[in-house]
Amino acid sequence: MMQTSAALSPFTGLMLLIAFSIVWVTLGWYWGRNNKTFDDYSVAGRNVGMALATATTLATWVTSNTTMVAPQLAYQMGLWGMVGYSFGSVGLLLFAPMAQRIRMLMPGGYTAGDFFRLRYGPVAWRVFLCISLLYGIGWLVSLGMAGGILIQALSGIPYAVGMTVILGVCVAYTLLGGLRAVIGTDFVQTILITLGVAILGVLAIRRIGIEPMHAALSAERPELLNLLLPVSLMFLFNNLLFGIGEIFHSNVWWSRAFAFGRGVGFRAFLLAGLIWAPIPIAAGFLALGAPVLGINVPAPDMVGPLVAARLLGATGAIFIFIVVFSALASSLDSLLAATSDLIVQDGYRRHFRPRASDATMRYAAKVTIVLLGVITWLVCLPRLTNLAAVLHLTGAFVASTIWPVAAGLYWKRVNPRAAVWAMILGSAAGLWAYFGIGFYVAALTGAAVSMAIILAGTLLYPHHFDWATLDESRDTATAGPRTQAGGPT
Amino acid sequence: MILPATAFTVLVIAAVILTAATPVILLGLLFRDLMKGTSW
Repeated sequence: MMQTSAALSPFTGLMLLIAFSIVWVTLGWYWGRNNKTFDDYSVAGRNVGMALATATTLATWVTSNTTMVAPQLAYQMGLWGMVGYSFGSVGLLLFAPMAQRIRMLMPGGYTAGDFFRLRYGPVAWRVFLCISLLYGIGWLVSLGMAGGILIQALSGIPYAVGMTVILGVCVAYTLLGGLRAVIGTDFVQTILITLGVAILGVLAIRRIGIEPMHAALSAERPELLNLLLPVSLMFLFNNLLFGIGEIFHSNVWWSRAFAFGRGVGFRAFLLAGLIWAPIPIAAGFLALGAPVLGINVPAPDMVGPLVAARLLGATGAIFIFIVVFSALASSLDSLLAATSDLIVQDGYRRHFRPRASDATMRYAAKVTIVLLGVITWLVCLPRLTNLAAVLHLTGAFVASTIWPVAAGLYWKRVNPRAAVWAMILGSAAGLWAYFGIGFYVAALTGAAVSMAIILAGTLLYPHHFDWATLDESRDTATAGPRTQAGGPT
Repeated sequence: MILPATAFTVLVIAAVILTAATPVILLGLLFRDLMKGTSW
């Protein structure tokens, strides 16, 4: 990718970086200035409305991958590459009823870890924490690296500078405003991303035309229009399960389920899933214009910016730069906030300081956000090239949590030991498949083994569970302030 | 099995229109939430 000549000058890129950095940090400070409690900071006061809830869900799921990898997949796998990518929305759609149930069962919850601790006990909780932190940090590092690489590819700004700026800006406004800042900036970022993608799509249709694009593809690369291309179909199913696993287990989504107002979660996740689905297609089909425009594509992951730059010149490159910067920031900030919550709530408070005051928790959250930023920066700095593969590896782990989460929310009799073994053996089987067969079956195998263990373990050894156990706010209401809640169960 | 040109056209145009509609939908929802005082 580095060999590609940049579409923007470093000066223009730097000006855009500085301008947007100032905007995000100022907005983050503004929206977070009235945070008074840990609830305000970590779950945005638990009363986020429909518009902000939908936008933050959408923005978090639109990563730099959606805008950069969707065109790459369309270029490499054709139709099913971009349509398969849009199947990532299924995770959001399936999580919609779960978000409502989570909010109802756990009105005072903070993290996905709270659910595992109360539903399955300390062993399952700690296994889950290992999986979730591994995934969270893997995703953070991959986003930080993607930021540096994309900013360099688009504008020629050195990798270390771009990566440092995007990480530093996201840490700064998440630190200043917590989840309120994240959700507020996500709204603005969603508008920018969708407007940018739509404008580029309209221009591509007007300047290239859809039928000439179809004719050129039919003549030069007909396999891209093949509805039965095997590799694309395998990608589709793996992507589907990976996406479901990512959403079901990750605290990024659980913290939103806790933050959205009553009755908002279901509608917000449903609407976000529906309006997310067309974005990878609208961004991805740009790449199919490359054969018509006669563009030589030296690296498939740069096909989107190359087509945009050819269609619109420097203006197109600026559009792509803004879209990518917004997409990166909207996911990085969410991940910083959600991972910090998991570390502070499940690690610090539950393991070491069960009686930590509200002010101590807020302070701990801020320190954790800074530390996460520094650790991510240090790992990103050497620019290890195999980190994308590491993130794919986490597919085996996250898919093994799908069944413990879904069954645990709806099925009273799920055996806690089955949940533990489902995660451990599901992850092991997924890893075996990853190394033994290929990345495209890791999530599928992890989910299948996990399902078999949950079903067999629960049908053979059913367990009774009282849903009321999940509502810790009842205990704290009778025991006094929230800080009286106990340690590990 | 090659996707016909008409289906390809419908797919692409629908995706672009729906993406373009997203900011309108979100701004409309925000306006409604602000009027009702339920944005946060």
